[in-house]
Amino acid sequence: MARSTWKGPFVDGYLLKKAETVRGGGRNEVIKTWSRRSTILPQFVGLTFGVHNGHKHIPVLVTENMIGHKFGEFAPTRTFHGHSAGDKKTAPAPAKKG
Amino acid sequence: MSRDPRICLGVIVGVKGVRGEVRIKPFTEVPADVAAYGPLTSKDGRSFAVTVTGFHQGVVIAKLNGVVDRNAAEALKGVELFVERAKLPAPDDGSFYFADLVGLAVELTDGTALGLATAVDNFGAGDVMEIKAADGQAIVVPFNPSVVANVDLVAGKIALNPVPGLFEDAENLDEALNEEKERGGDAA
Repeated sequence: MARSTWKGPFVDGYLLKKAETVRGGGRNEVIKTWSRRSTILPQFVGLTFGVHNGHKHIPVLVTENMIGHKFGEFAPTRTFHGHSAGDKKTAPAPAKKG
Repeated sequence: MSRDPRICLGVIVGVKGVRGEVRIKPFTEVPADVAAYGPLTSKDGRSFAVTVTGFHQGVVIAKLNGVVDRNAAEALKGVELFVERAKLPAPDDGSFYFADLVGLAVELTDGTALGLATAVDNFGAGDVMEIKAADGQAIVVPFNPSVVANVDLVAGKIALNPVPGLFEDAENLDEALNEEKERGGDAA
């Protein structure tokens, strides 16, 4: 059964406070959290959370299309044995040297 | 770290029909590109010209030259298909192949060594790079401009900006966990 609308989205209170502190300070800081159950709120957009997967904190940069999902969805807990090779590319934006 | 000059583009996971078509699980960004870089080779050196004939639930259906019946196709199940790294097109300026980043030394901009890049993944929240530190500890960092200061493929180095909260050891892990547990009921 879906969560009742009148309750609003669930977020651990301390996570909300941490996010507000970081946003208020204007710092580019990774907010480490174990709260995989918390819902991603609009005010989290642009912040980076380190979501614990049982072993380590996986960086999760919150974007608009992640609103409404839970943090745990972006930090898989099982060992990933897939291929990260192939012709997949990534673009961190700094100019390529070499 | 020595680099494998070949890159795995897919693996044969099954067969389709009786005319020798195989099902290839692609590791390429675009599934059809499994056949875009010319003939593929297996680990033991056999070469296959691949012709894509269709797609089904994320798997590429393809014909391989010299494979004409189901029995021959079934014998290839599990075979990994490789392409020479040199055959891949040069990436755009400022972008990198995942495969090129694995094995590079990672350090902070002040020269502090962090370890070696072991993987680049994307779990749905942007690209992340896993670093294996000298003490065996794994660190995962975002692979975005605010963190990555410079990638030097020639020197084999990646320089990262020191972002607060990213590299601190879990020295206060118990303390932090207790703190979170104590506040566990405090939900918004």
